[in-house]
Amino acid sequence: MKLPPALARFREILGLALIFAAAVIFSPTGSGGENIFLQPDNLTDILRQQAEIGIIALAMTLVIISGGIDLSVGSLLAFVASLTALLLVKWQPALGPAAHITVALLAALASAFLLGFLNGAVIARLRLQPFIATLATMIGVRGLARWMCDNANIDFGFGGHVSARFADIFSDKLFVIGLWAAAAAFFYVLLEYTVFGRHVRAVGENERTAGYTGLPIRFTKVAVYSLCGLAAGVAGLIHAARSYQGNPNDGSAYELDAIAAVVIGGTALSGGKGSIPGTIIGALIMGVLTNILRLRLIDTNVEFMIKAVIIVAAVWLQSPRKAR
Amino acid sequence: MKKLSTTMKPKRLLALLAFAATFANAADKLVVFSQCNNAEPYRAAQNARMSERFAKIPGVRLEIMDAQQDNTRQIAQIETAIRRRPALLIVAPNESAPLTRVMGRALAAKIPVICLERDISQPLYTSYVRADNREIGRLAGEYIVELLKRKNGSPAGVVVEICGLKGVEAEINREGGAHDVWKNHPGIQVAAAPVADWLQSRAKDRMTEVLGALPKIDVVYAHNDPMAMGAWLAAKDKGREKEMLFVGVDGLSGPGGGIEKVNEGLLAATFIYPLCVDEAVAIAEKILSGDTANLPKTQTVPSRMVTKGTP
Repeated sequence: MKLPPALARFREILGLALIFAAAVIFSPTGSGGENIFLQPDNLTDILRQQAEIGIIALAMTLVIISGGIDLSVGSLLAFVASLTALLLVKWQPALGPAAHITVALLAALASAFLLGFLNGAVIARLRLQPFIATLATMIGVRGLARWMCDNANIDFGFGGHVSARFADIFSDKLFVIGLWAAAAAFFYVLLEYTVFGRHVRAVGENERTAGYTGLPIRFTKVAVYSLCGLAAGVAGLIHAARSYQGNPNDGSAYELDAIAAVVIGGTALSGGKGSIPGTIIGALIMGVLTNILRLRLIDTNVEFMIKAVIIVAAVWLQSPRKAR
Repeated sequence: MKKLSTTMKPKRLLALLAFAATFANAADKLVVFSQCNNAEPYRAAQNARMSERFAKIPGVRLEIMDAQQDNTRQIAQIETAIRRRPALLIVAPNESAPLTRVMGRALAAKIPVICLERDISQPLYTSYVRADNREIGRLAGEYIVELLKRKNGSPAGVVVEICGLKGVEAEINREGGAHDVWKNHPGIQVAAAPVADWLQSRAKDRMTEVLGALPKIDVVYAHNDPMAMGAWLAAKDKGREKEMLFVGVDGLSGPGGGIEKVNEGLLAATFIYPLCVDEAVAIAEKILSGDTANLPKTQTVPSRMVTKGTP
């Protein structure tokens, strides 16, 4: 099948179109015969529900294009959610609510950025494999989050409590979807239109060659992992607001969901090749699929099995060696 | 041509499935039960009883969604269920604070909500059917005082608690109720209280560590039966299962349930935590028939103790 050149770059969009069409066909209908899947409220539900994974996956795309992987994002998300809850619920500074929220979220994001920086520094300086370095961070930060909260979840307050105000902002549908869109625009421009983006690809394609040509390999690596930490932090804020608590046990396997969105989106785990629009499509494919299975009230375990098949099918369809 | 035939087949299948899906029980009233975690025996028993009871109500279709002990998943599942506009939503919330708002959204969408067994932070439900975990905790605490008197001559000794998911109402009160009793008995020393998230496998791991740390244990009070069994298995591995007594909560009947374990002599006692399903279904029938005048806001289902030989 020949696609117009603008679309041919993102063959994944075909996959999304197929899943979307299937969702429209399979959608249950409401009492007035309307298609429930296509209702704006339902479609925006999908975007909001995928925003956490979607934002992490954007930064993960850069990490994977640079030839790395980041397994620590789920733990980082739990850490940021817990830290935010701690700062909003247990800490009572002499500040107004707006200043209190600002300080809390800046502190939480700064810690996430620093932990990402730590990942990058260990990988670039100590030359540990990214899988191992971020595996260690995943384990260590999980422990840090649980230790910090004494194993318990920190629930937000209701009514006029400052944490409730934070949750109102960060669980607002438009705000959350807007954050994802803004992050997508940022990472798209960063990857496609900046020197840094070219360096990311060059490092992932062939690190040695990139080194010979004098590219700042260390800086590039530290930067992509720092950004990935920051993205996990932003997702952590959304997560805390949505789940109305800081839970140090949350976010497990989020790294795998994010990596799944990236690879469904056509980014090669071997590095060098990939795109931000592809990753967005990957996240949407998983989101639409989850939504239609839930609208049809399919068993959660079957949901997992179908997702597994979709991952394999999507990546296989994009593999270059397929003979058509 | 070959290509054509391979692309036709899935299309035909899709159309067939869509056809079947559109007309399956379209006229039935939909009841969605959002279960926080199918993978616990107590909840499997709830699901089975729920399916059995709803199967007898004509014109009603029950669908159970499993959140697999994940707040985020349960919130998303309920959001999506709201779009289906069910005639009734029954929720066994995974945790109180996270599920409060989404249940409020269901109510706001004019969907009646029955909150099953676990409380939420604000009363955003039509009816709440609960069991009294505080009372269960107190009953268990008193019984353990008796066990220690019998074993050591005085209400004193080393107790290990195995805790469920922290922050959940059941955990707070099964623990708190026992401590309400024990605070009057300074000889009772809670030497360890590891968290095992209600799961047998995790309880076995945590108990193995505790056994390494404590040379003598008198009573293990696990906040549910599977965790009591996990602790018993860990003690058995070390040949120490006769050294201590095991007390659990839930008291499920049937194979593998707590009552069977009590009768086999593995657990000293269990405290029946009622499924709450029969009471919830009674309320559901009223709601579905439009008889919403005298619905109880909160209904408490009583507990009782089971020891060996209890009928």
